[in-house]
Amino acid sequence: MSKDIPILAVKDVKKHYVVGSETIKALNGVNLEIKRGDFTAIIGKSGSGKSTLMHIIGLLDTPTKGQVLLKGKDISKYTETELALARNKEIGFVFQSFNLLQRTSTLDNVELPLKYAKVKKKDRIKTATEMLQLVGLGDRLHNKSNELSGGQKQRVAIARALVNDPSIILADEPTGNLDTKTGDEIIKLFKKLNKMGKTIVIVTHDEDLAKIAKKRITISDGLVVK
Amino acid sequence: MNFIDTFRTSSTAISANKVRAALTMLGVIIGVFAVVMMVALGQGAQNFITDQFEQLGSNLIFVSPGKSGVGRDPAEALTRNKLDDKHVDLIKTHANENISALSAWVSTGSTVVHKNKSYFASVSGLDYNGNEVMNYEIDKGRFLIRSEVKSKAKVAVIGKLVSEELFGQSSPIGESIKMDNNSYKVIGTFKEKGQNYDNGVIIPYTSAKSTFSIKNLSGIVIKLKEGAPVEVSMNQIKRAVSRDLNKDDFSVLSQQDILGSIQEILGMLTLAIGGIAGISLLVGGIGIMNIMLVSVTERTREIGLRKAVGATPFNIASQFLIESVLISFGGGSIGIILAFIANFAAQSFIRTEIPIWAIALAFGFSVGVGILFGTYPAIKAAKKDPIEALRYE
Ligand SMILES: Nc1ncnc2c1ncn2[C@@H]1O[C@H](COP(=O)(O)OP(=O)(O)O)[C@@H](O)[C@H]1O
Ligand SMILES: [Mg+2]
Repeated sequence: MSKDIPILAVKDVKKHYVVGSETIKALNGVNLEIKRGDFTAIIGKSGSGKSTLMHIIGLLDTPTKGQVLLKGKDISKYTETELALARNKEIGFVFQSFNLLQRTSTLDNVELPLKYAKVKKKDRIKTATEMLQLVGLGDRLHNKSNELSGGQKQRVAIARALVNDPSIILADEPTGNLDTKTGDEIIKLFKKLNKMGKTIVIVTHDEDLAKIAKKRITISDGLVVK
Repeated sequence: MNFIDTFRTSSTAISANKVRAALTMLGVIIGVFAVVMMVALGQGAQNFITDQFEQLGSNLIFVSPGKSGVGRDPAEALTRNKLDDKHVDLIKTHANENISALSAWVSTGSTVVHKNKSYFASVSGLDYNGNEVMNYEIDKGRFLIRSEVKSKAKVAVIGKLVSEELFGQSSPIGESIKMDNNSYKVIGTFKEKGQNYDNGVIIPYTSAKSTFSIKNLSGIVIKLKEGAPVEVSMNQIKRAVSRDLNKDDFSVLSQQDILGSIQEILGMLTLAIGGIAGISLLVGGIGIMNIMLVSVTERTREIGLRKAVGATPFNIASQFLIESVLISFGGGSIGIILAFIANFAAQSFIRTEIPIWAIALAFGFSVGVGILFGTYPAIKAAKKDPIEALRYE
């Protein structure tokens, strides 16, 4: 693959929701490129359209208008199954509310994307363990998710996002449910991962957090303003 | 995700909510239990009747009045009964070759009275060699003799139950019993052999005709010689009787024919009752669907997360479908185990038997119910929009 082609490109993307007689223009013509090794922060007030954009970048949602190119390929013709396979291979999600499987061990949670990638059990355990060590939870492999603190939960979620070695890590307000100190540690972890060569996109409404990113994109009312 | 991983995921979800799973299974447990027990009862009855027939001995042929077969009018056979002594003679003279013994048969029922005790017995009029034909075994006294049949003697041989009911432990031989205001002398008793024998009273068929004012014979019972060809003998008998009667006025049946048609009727009955019991299995299935739909809604976030990390719609559908099948299969297994326990416990007072095919059927049905009622919730789960699922609070 040519180095010039961005991993992901969003071209004049619009996302409109029709609620009753009103049309909510969550995204109103957004252009964006994510290249290998990028560390991008998407900043904006609550309700500005950040999550909507992230879902589109993450291939969870499709735009009303405009194009999404994954490694140069238009995904608009992809079936549900093809999109699922692309998410499994290319995208790692980190959510504000962690979204770990309840009453499930740390290791099992991290293994999940590998299961859908049909990786053998032995290799799954090996890779998942490595990822948990990387995020500093090498000693918590068998704890159930409800036995972890918020910061630990988010580290499990990050390990899960890393485990398939995706092209992009997408984090939507990853520190939103954490106190400042724990949040800072998570941000430092992202910084470390980016230094290791991971491509990261962080969505946040906190401008201080965004400062550590290499690129900053501000959106307001569904438009990129900066 | 491969099958084993999906299977594990599903079973983990079930064990995470054991009480709910158990309650959901209950419908299937009851359904499968009911189906298997109904079949076991039917099968038990069928086997009981087969055994009764086998006690009669094989190679028996019956000549009965009227046309045979399903759908015939039983009243017609009685009102147009033309069977009589002369047909017994016709068989004796023209179809004797393969016959070892035969007896006219007059069948009725009567209240039998001795002193202040009475008992309703099935009364059969037979010839002097009726014991040989019907495999009766004498316990005390003797069977009817030729002269008694000829002279319409008022003598009777009684079954074990009749004897016990009327005479208790004391010997009935030489005592008199009353039927339809006719006094009969007891000359013998039969050995215990089963319900149909034990509640019977046997008298000369000639006496039965006069006491109960019966004009014709209920039938002629023929025992073939050992190893005689049944089909050939039946045809010989048919031709012999045809010398006097129309084809439609009588029928010749082998024991197999009669057994076959009784079994057919019982089999149909078993299936019908089993089918009704099967409705409870359907209700159980609806219970599964109901709970699975609730479960899909409750686990919206989980579905969204799984989709986000790469689960295809097929992966999600499989996970939920296997969950329903596991629940219904589990319920089916428990139902079958309970049926076995009930079957064992019932043995002391009723004959029941669980045939292998009923177990296979019950397992098949329970898996089928799981698939049938699990498909809709599974598709619903697979179709969930991951965004809605992840936003769901
Ligand atoms: N499914 C939906 N139906 C209707 N409106 C929606 C839906 N999802 C998001 N919106 C609206 O789109 C706008 C952008 O939402 P969102 O992307 O979640 O903002 P942010 O993440 O920046 O807070 C908001 O006004 C929100 O109410
Ligand atoms: Mg948001």
